[in-house]
Amino acid sequence: MIGAGYLLITALVWTIIIGLAWGLSKYLKKVYENEKTFLDKILDPVENIIYRILGIDRNKDMGWKEYFLSLFTFTVFTAAISFVILTYQGMLPLNPMKFPGMSWSLAFNTVTSFSSNTNLQHYGGGSTLSYLGQMVGIQFLQFTSAASGVVVAVAIFRGFAGRRDDSRNLGNFYTDMVRTMTRVLLPLTLILAVLLIVLGVPQSLGGYSLVKTLSGSFELIKVGPISSLVSIMQLGTNGGGYFGANSAYPFANPSPLTNYIELGGMMLLPTAMPFLFGRMLRMKKEGRTLLIASYGLYAIDLAIALIPVTTLGAGMETRLGGFSTALYTVTTTAFTTGSVNTSLAAMHPLVIMAALMGMMIQATPGGIGVGAMYMLMYVLITVFIVGLMAGRTPEYLGAKITANDVKLAVIAFLAHPVVILVPTALAYALGAVHAIGLGTGPVGFTQILYEYTSAAANNGSDFLGTTGNTVFFNVSTGIVMWAGRFIPIFIMLAMAGRMLDKKRSTEVALRTDNLIFPAILIISILILAVLTFFPFLAVGPILMHLEGIKNAL
Amino acid sequence: MPFNEKQISGRTAGQENLEEPISWLYVAKDSLLRMSPMRLIKNPVMFVVELSFLVVLLMTIVPGAFPHLAHQNDRVFYAYVTAILFVTVWFSTISDSFAEARSRATAANLKKLEKEGVARRIHENGSEGRTIETVKSSDLRKGDVILIEKGDQVPIDAEVSEGIAMLDESLLTGESVGVRKSKGDTVIGGSTVVSDSIVAIVNVNPDETYISKLVKMVESSERPKTPNEVALSILLLGLTGVFTIILFALIALSLLLNLGADLSVLIALYVCLLPTTIGALLPAIGISGITRMSKNSIIAKSGKAIETAGDADTILLDKTGTITVGNRLAHEFIPLGGHSERELAEAAFLSSWNDDTPEGRSIVELAFAKRFVPREYDALREGVHEEFSAVTRRSGITLVDSDDFTLPKGGREFYQRHRFRKKFELQTPLTEDTTIHKGAPDAIKDSAEACPDNYDDVVTRITSEGGTPIAVSMNGTVLGIIYFKDVIKHGIKERILGLRKMGIRPVMITGDHPLTARSIAGEVGIDEFVAQAKPETKYQKVKDEQAENRIVAMIGDGTNDAPALAAADVGLAMASGTFAAKDAANMVDLESNPSKIIDVVMLGKQLLMTRGAVTTFSITNDVAKYFAIVPVMFASIPALGALNILGLAPQTAVLSALIFNAIVIPALIPIALRGTRFKPQSTLRIFLKNLFLYGVGGVLLPFAAIKLIAVFLVFTGGII
Amino acid sequence: MKGGKLISGTLRLALVLALICGVIYPVVVTGIGQALFPFQANGEMAQLNNATVGSYLIGQSTNNSHYLFNVRNDSASGVDPDITVTSAMAQAQVIHNSTNISLAYLDGLIHNNTRYSMFFFGTAYVDSLSLNILIIDHFHNSIAVYGKIYNGLNTTGS
Repeated sequence: MIGAGYLLITALVWTIIIGLAWGLSKYLKKVYENEKTFLDKILDPVENIIYRILGIDRNKDMGWKEYFLSLFTFTVFTAAISFVILTYQGMLPLNPMKFPGMSWSLAFNTVTSFSSNTNLQHYGGGSTLSYLGQMVGIQFLQFTSAASGVVVAVAIFRGFAGRRDDSRNLGNFYTDMVRTMTRVLLPLTLILAVLLIVLGVPQSLGGYSLVKTLSGSFELIKVGPISSLVSIMQLGTNGGGYFGANSAYPFANPSPLTNYIELGGMMLLPTAMPFLFGRMLRMKKEGRTLLIASYGLYAIDLAIALIPVTTLGAGMETRLGGFSTALYTVTTTAFTTGSVNTSLAAMHPLVIMAALMGMMIQATPGGIGVGAMYMLMYVLITVFIVGLMAGRTPEYLGAKITANDVKLAVIAFLAHPVVILVPTALAYALGAVHAIGLGTGPVGFTQILYEYTSAAANNGSDFLGTTGNTVFFNVSTGIVMWAGRFIPIFIMLAMAGRMLDKKRSTEVALRTDNLIFPAILIISILILAVLTFFPFLAVGPILMHLEGIKNAL
Repeated sequence: MPFNEKQISGRTAGQENLEEPISWLYVAKDSLLRMSPMRLIKNPVMFVVELSFLVVLLMTIVPGAFPHLAHQNDRVFYAYVTAILFVTVWFSTISDSFAEARSRATAANLKKLEKEGVARRIHENGSEGRTIETVKSSDLRKGDVILIEKGDQVPIDAEVSEGIAMLDESLLTGESVGVRKSKGDTVIGGSTVVSDSIVAIVNVNPDETYISKLVKMVESSERPKTPNEVALSILLLGLTGVFTIILFALIALSLLLNLGADLSVLIALYVCLLPTTIGALLPAIGISGITRMSKNSIIAKSGKAIETAGDADTILLDKTGTITVGNRLAHEFIPLGGHSERELAEAAFLSSWNDDTPEGRSIVELAFAKRFVPREYDALREGVHEEFSAVTRRSGITLVDSDDFTLPKGGREFYQRHRFRKKFELQTPLTEDTTIHKGAPDAIKDSAEACPDNYDDVVTRITSEGGTPIAVSMNGTVLGIIYFKDVIKHGIKERILGLRKMGIRPVMITGDHPLTARSIAGEVGIDEFVAQAKPETKYQKVKDEQAENRIVAMIGDGTNDAPALAAADVGLAMASGTFAAKDAANMVDLESNPSKIIDVVMLGKQLLMTRGAVTTFSITNDVAKYFAIVPVMFASIPALGALNILGLAPQTAVLSALIFNAIVIPALIPIALRGTRFKPQSTLRIFLKNLFLYGVGGVLLPFAAIKLIAVFLVFTGGII
Repeated sequence: MKGGKLISGTLRLALVLALICGVIYPVVVTGIGQALFPFQANGEMAQLNNATVGSYLIGQSTNNSHYLFNVRNDSASGVDPDITVTSAMAQAQVIHNSTNISLAYLDGLIHNNTRYSMFFFGTAYVDSLSLNILIIDHFHNSIAVYGKIYNGLNTTGS
């Protein structure tokens, strides 16, 4: 009875989000193909002012290298701006709580984290950051990193769509970025932020207030620009909360309703991406393939997580209950958002395993923009492996997959385990794990593995929290986050550049627009992920689970 | 109709007997030599397996060198692992050596055709005329003029410059039909002259003959990789990289967390995860492609061309020779204007007796079959022939009184002529000259004194039915019309259907009238055809298809076909064709059988499928191996035993998985060499069948196999 | 030249967006929130006896009091104000024992304020702070402990 209710709620959330994403993708296509929209009248003049300030050629169509270079340079500058704000927030305005600046290593970790859409937090936001730090240090990067994901996806989609009649390229980074901001993220976050305020999420710049409680003690009420941050944190699959407790903190997530709205918020744009892919390619069924595959994997993830009974346990919030908490935890990793509404240490090992799987695959459906990018990488690898069995050189979207494409896809695939496993081993070898008091058992190992997996997958959920605020973990995770972000983006943009000019044949042996291919894709991704990470899952969460069973017996 | 080797070759099994037996001694020796690291490094997957073998060997000898990772007590186990790893690498080199030995056997078979022979070289000595010297065939050079007489074997590929002769190419083609060669034709080294003699100009140097090229190709082990092989190699390298990182991370973890893993077990897991099956068989699959082509008497100039053939979207099929049997054949005599069928048939017989074209022969054959043999045939010797000319578009014969009779040159099989002679050795002298004409209906109509009323109707009917009408007149009176019809090749309809099912567009190319072309195309199930095609039309069609991003395969033989052959993605030239055509093509068919282009495409597909199937199998196998090894990997974590769904003891599990991993290589050698079988059906169905067989099978089979091996190991009491 | 353009373009873009996303956007949202929904925007502050006693959303530790509902101490946020109805019913027994407030009254209070984690099913819970405020407000004249708290609020309010 209750199980059916859980399924019903999940189905309802999926239906609503997929429906909204489908509608949103129509609008997104107009935005990125410069078609008329109802917002033109208001936004065209605003954008013109911005373009004038930038002093760039807005009509210039960029190749993949220039697109990447612009994105990368831009990200470096955004991180630098944030770095300055965070380290000097003590001397800057909007600091009614008089918080001091961050240490260099913590600021480094924080800006690499937020600029890479990871939002791993080695600080407790509510007790570390000034309003200016939250707004310009954090929220600003949440916008730009989310927009980066979207523009990367759009540029890649353009490449995969191929050159049509015109001699177009991957697009113009500046206009893509500006339009993403003005026409997509800002309007959506504005709507969500106001909705969340109505439902009880505070939004104020009036400073924390100290109140005398009923029992006569004093309590700090930490109000601030929370709603505006939570809305971009969810919509942009960022996940870095205003508070250390993130979406478990009642101000960030006051009720079951806000919990589901925030859940839907992080699902919306990643779900819209496959639809946008289909629309931009003029092949809607190809978009459907990506959507089915990513939601299929998401469903498998959920099934694993929901094997344990989902009742309210310690380390959870009463108002959210066990099921919503597990659903949220799996979803936040499946969409590599990383906001959490629970204490991960309280979650069942199988939930942790499902979460790890989501982050290892990164396309379930993955983070904003980049999730679709990873899915395309898996599609290429899968098509290549199984496509030969149809008796033809494998093709995707009619374009032959050649040695160089395989090389790129394999490097992109290889990058992930490298940036996870190498630092994990290093952290043990250099004694950094021991230094923060984690033992050598499966629990400690799971926490470290989770830390680097979360960093590499640009997820941001973590076990360590403020205990991770050591120079080793700040710097190493910082490097992992940027490597995990920019290596795959670089490679997949290069791939898009190659796809742009590939000949497209009309006859293909292995169709990717039917319902069989997504099933194959899911199995292929599972096998690839299992092959790569299974021994580590076995040592960590599976072992925790098995030991738990043994203890219970 | 399953697609297999027999069908490709279209030959009887007897041909296979010519093959040299494979030298197992050579295979054994060569495979061991190939294990040298210097040679093996070209195959990274097997190279790292060999490195693993060396590490475990070292563990067996000095376990003390691996503190925490190796144990003195387990040396027997290490020895087993060492042995299995050695055998794994050896199996892979055996598959290479075996494929190559097979390839050499095919080459040796072909080499027989090129036995050192003698040749007679002609020297032009100006005014003194010609002198002939006997030289070794290997001394001949391009441009030499040679004399080949009845009974001689053609010493080298050459172009006929004088004379006409019948040649037996059966040694090359397996078909014992005599082929007539006259000026401009190419004679192929190895064939035998059975009648008359010819003078020919050598057009290649001895090491450039097609057979030499073929032999060289199948013998060469330094074969450049095909594009898909390169791509696959990169994927395998990538997977090797992933698993190497995992191996080192696991070693590091085990040491850092004191998980008590044994290095040999980690290495076993590593080797099991590596795509060893495809890594070991990839070279053999590539070699087998060329071998199978050459077994079918096709020289592929590169492995790439075979692979491209598998990708063909469009096949340009020459109507004649591919869809229809050679030329049109007489099908029916239609007498007109009150004449009898016998009158028409006998006149046709007489007019065709000296016509050595297939059409002419078919008239004689049809008349003979209907028992319409004229008594005047003995007058043929004295007949005055009027050769067919493009101006008159007719041929003719005027018969005069005679008492002698000879057979026309060439033509039908000997025994059939013999029967003629025996049965009809009567002599009835003619009393007056008779002139018979046969030719295009309008030409005959113009020259005839009177024309029957329904003449035009019959002509139109035949044309609209896709046939060719040939009119016959005697002394200016139209006797009737011979109905010529295309004869569809046996089984071609099914093969075209097969092509279409696999998503390949067959396009028929013919010089015929569109009406005729439509009728033939319709009969065999082809939608698209190019009628009244000229050689340049073919080139244009290739270009048009390519402009639509389609990959085009075609056949050709004439000089005019050379541009199209060069432009096509897959160009198959007939050995009987001109040098220009062969030079432009990327494959040459020694049997000169145009319908083989279909076989080439199917073979290309089979090759790609085989690679995909073995790769998929190799990767899906890993799931079961995981479940065998991971549960027993860490000694200090017995809780992992819950994952041990196969219920195996630790060392048994590791050895069973490793043994399975090794024996799967030789087990798949037959598939690698022969190719996965498939029926021509939709690519989706072929794909799903292969996916089920090699994907699902690849997941399930090893579970059973590993368990069985483990039971066997326990049963024999060797270990644990 | 080209590199210069890249740097100036991306730097300017970063600065413009820092202004729009980091300053203008949160200020606009704050303006809307403060103007239209000030109660929620300021943290749903709870008032009692003309004093602000906390936020309905933030749980207050009550030092294991026998006359007030206590929060869970094992929540993720550490400030979870909600308790399960089961827990509330058990605590009602304790409050009843120490204050003599009828169980029927407490039961009614709990049930009137019950919500569910899955909207209409799931974990049934109540906000402990709301219950405490309601009890104090209702009984500050009749029960001494509540009167003490009630009166104490106004004198030393922050």
